[in-house]
Amino acid sequence: MGKKIKAIILKFPGTNNDVETARALKIVGAEPDILPVSLLSKKIILNYSLLVLAGGFSYGDYVYAGKLAALELKKKLNDTIFEFAEKDRFILGICNGFQILLELNMLPEGFLAQNKNKHFICQWCKLKINQINNFFTKYFPDEIELPVAHFEGKFISKNNNAEKYVNNGSAFILYKEDINGSEKNIAGLCDKNKKIFGLMPHPERFIYKEEYHSPDIYKKKFGYGYYFFKALIDFLK
Amino acid sequence: MNYNKLVYLNQKRNLNLRKEDLILIYNYYKKLRRTPTNLEIEIIAQNWSEHCKHRIFNAEIKYKENKKEKIINSLFNTFIKKTTEKIITKKQDFVINPFIDNAGFIKINNKYSICAKVETHNHPSAIEPYGGAATGIGGVIRDILGAGCGAKPIGNINALCFGNIELKKVNEDIIHPRKIMRGVVAGIRDYGNKMGIPTVAGAIIFSNDYNFNPLVFCGSIGIIENKKINKEIKEGLKIIVAGNRTGRDGLKGAIFASKSLTTKSLSDDKKAVQIPNPILEKQLLEFILEAKKENLICYITDCGAGGLSSAICEMIYNFGAVIYLDKVHLLEENMLAWEIFLSETQERMVLAVNEKDINKLKKIARIYDVEISEIGYINDSQKIKIYFKNKLECDLDLDFLNSPVQKKLKCTISKKAKKREKNNNLLFENFNLKRILNKVLSNLNICSKRPIISEYDFEVQGNTLIKPVMSDEQDVPADGVVLRISDVEKYLAIGLSLLPEYGKIECEKMAKSSVDEVVRQLVVVGANPEKIALLDNFCCGNINREKELKKLILTVKGISEAAEIFNLPFISGKDSFYNYYVLKNGREKNIPLTLLITGLGIIEKKKEITTNYIKKSDSLICIVGFTNDELGGSIVNSVLKFQSDNVPDVDFELSKKIYESIYKCIRKNLILSAHDISEGGFIIALLEMLFSMRAGCEINLDNLPCKKNISNFSKLFSESNSRILLEIKKSKILKVKKIFINLPFAIIGKTTNKHKNIIIKDGEKILLNEEIRELKNIWEKRLKQLY
Repeated sequence: MGKKIKAIILKFPGTNNDVETARALKIVGAEPDILPVSLLSKKIILNYSLLVLAGGFSYGDYVYAGKLAALELKKKLNDTIFEFAEKDRFILGICNGFQILLELNMLPEGFLAQNKNKHFICQWCKLKINQINNFFTKYFPDEIELPVAHFEGKFISKNNNAEKYVNNGSAFILYKEDINGSEKNIAGLCDKNKKIFGLMPHPERFIYKEEYHSPDIYKKKFGYGYYFFKALIDFLK
Repeated sequence: MNYNKLVYLNQKRNLNLRKEDLILIYNYYKKLRRTPTNLEIEIIAQNWSEHCKHRIFNAEIKYKENKKEKIINSLFNTFIKKTTEKIITKKQDFVINPFIDNAGFIKINNKYSICAKVETHNHPSAIEPYGGAATGIGGVIRDILGAGCGAKPIGNINALCFGNIELKKVNEDIIHPRKIMRGVVAGIRDYGNKMGIPTVAGAIIFSNDYNFNPLVFCGSIGIIENKKINKEIKEGLKIIVAGNRTGRDGLKGAIFASKSLTTKSLSDDKKAVQIPNPILEKQLLEFILEAKKENLICYITDCGAGGLSSAICEMIYNFGAVIYLDKVHLLEENMLAWEIFLSETQERMVLAVNEKDINKLKKIARIYDVEISEIGYINDSQKIKIYFKNKLECDLDLDFLNSPVQKKLKCTISKKAKKREKNNNLLFENFNLKRILNKVLSNLNICSKRPIISEYDFEVQGNTLIKPVMSDEQDVPADGVVLRISDVEKYLAIGLSLLPEYGKIECEKMAKSSVDEVVRQLVVVGANPEKIALLDNFCCGNINREKELKKLILTVKGISEAAEIFNLPFISGKDSFYNYYVLKNGREKNIPLTLLITGLGIIEKKKEITTNYIKKSDSLICIVGFTNDELGGSIVNSVLKFQSDNVPDVDFELSKKIYESIYKCIRKNLILSAHDISEGGFIIALLEMLFSMRAGCEINLDNLPCKKNISNFSKLFSESNSRILLEIKKSKILKVKKIFINLPFAIIGKTTNKHKNIIIKDGEKILLNEEIRELKNIWEKRLKQLY
């Protein structure tokens, strides 16, 4: 056992998945802290090797999802946010966090628009792990299932690049079926160095098998979300 | 002081005070030799409003039943409080502080307790559906934040009664029920989702009865450390207002809630509806939970109806306080004293803290960007004194404020009307089951509610184990939902029952049925029947009418009797009267008395959590409980519109034994699935289980336990209480039979992988042979088309 990976979860006004995300990180052996954004500084953040932008509705998503949180991060951290993932550090954005990372242009370019059915969607969905050049591959079967809960999850790429993202592996996770109108069913993206990850589904909501919608037929020891966090933390070690 | 001036004031300021109140006020000021200030008269009216003092529930009622005259001195004390107190003495260490705090608590273990509160926001939702429902949820969440020294909300619930969403047009000045539905759902969705509290359980009813006055029950459930339950007011504490800036929104909401809706409500009463801001409330939540953790809170209460006036008067009860209104942080300039004190601006809480802790409190407030102001202090003067712009604007004796005249009401309960049991034999003997099923499955009160459910984030916080919809296709509706209690190996089950159709025929049976249904919902998901607590919420029409009061009395008696036999305490409740609409022609449209029973149950172990969808082929389908001829108020009754007044009754002794036996089976791990039979009867319950689409099934009705010979129609659609459907592995059936010995229990069929049909036989006669998928499609698509 090496040293524990230190993770920091930022809490904007309206971030609301911080507690369960911290719980998930703890279970896979990391040492998570939750930090209200009003206390955020460059100095604090550099003590951590994983930065997590958790789900929720930062600043109410009133402008559009993630916009104001992205501005706040730029204001408080300047280039530190962009340089954070340069050495042995990772950034993970889940749901609203994914929206923030796209706003910051830290992932292959695109944005998340309102779901095609114009409704909030809370359901579980089947997902495919993109096998191209992907470090999650050894932790998962090809197909997994996680819950989603979002209003703005329809991914639209810049310059119609969605197909390219799928082919070069940066779209590391895909919906098996079209649930919200995302181009090429993209559910999550990572940067070219594989250090910044953003995804719409919620791995932190599927840590234990009893959280599954049909617990009697789920056969793995832990939920798929557990293996997702495990993969990240193992890689950081 | 002139009495006529007081009468004039009452009218002009829309105070809704009654004559007895005015006389009391007149005498009080005569003694003081002065006239009331505007602030004082508003404080009195707010404190004495039905909404805040529950004067109907505490009234003295002279009532006549079977020519015998009795006096009920407070419905609440007689039927709710006394029953609960009796049960608490039997079940010590389970219920804590019922009826004292914002919400009562049940103990989970040595570390934590759970509390819950359900409120209604009917009138605001009728005129401003989105804002009305959102602030309804926001308000009840603050009730939880204000329970103990600040409980953490872990789940929201709601029960909604909408009008006919297919109404061609509306004649009166009301909003179309479909628009109300969409607005209300969006309001609940946005507030719950944005605050990160899962909306886990709900019930929805559609009926013409609610065209003019929809009902929106909003509830929230919280968790708190046992050592943070007791809160204390003492001399010298500073009074703090935290959260939103006080503005003019929502003035007089408490009074608006205590009168009827009229054709003018839509245009005139809008100012009584407040503006929701869930992100601000989320910040307030973080602030409170942090302050609680640091032991900074001596007392906390929410700002709801009646604003600061209600919160502070309730808090200081028989102590005293001095308040400086200039110190309240305001949204608008030039507000008057009474406007500040009565405003119902959302997202505010009132705290009482030690002076030495104020700096620490300010620091936490800064972290979460919450505005706070110190507005006064507690003393033991037994007076409330309020200063504004250096002038004493209020100097009232709390003793006077806390003792409005007890209402006196009269009510005669006449002999029951003759049963309208017409000859329905023709229908019952010669029916086309497939055709009726198509109608019932596409009935809005039976069809899948998934389009609405998936608007709510029911998974946030990551503890929703039994979700509102379960199984492979995520659409089998759960009986009760189950939340994991973080860090302890315990689970909370939540159930709701709403049966207004029964009440339209017999209120007492509706009340008993609702309690029985909730217990059933909780037991089938694995709750310990000994560890269940209830919440009661009543919505009535114009309670000044004797016939509405009569319904209330019968309903309260019914739940009290049921709770006493089952040994279930009430931990909190609320009433809402005057749910009626005055038509242009002056006629009143009353809602049917609508009772919501919410149940909370504790599941002791993870392995005892039980689901209700069919798991596999080659297992046995069994039923427990008697099926009687009880079609009154049933779904099939309203779909086919025949006449039957036989509302389901409850045999509590039998019911209790059945539920105890179910619990025994669950603990011994003998059950694959268990589903409660309720609206729609046996056939609908069976179909819901089969909608997991894992197997076909073959059922024979001739084995169904019935007390006497009844028609197949009744066997299929009757809604008799205390019945549960079970799926059981063949290898375990002997053990199960042993547990149900001497109880109505039968194996009625099996699941199969030979086909994906539902086959129902009566002896050799085939009543139904249909593809389950086809029936599911009907059930699924109905609301989707309308939503």
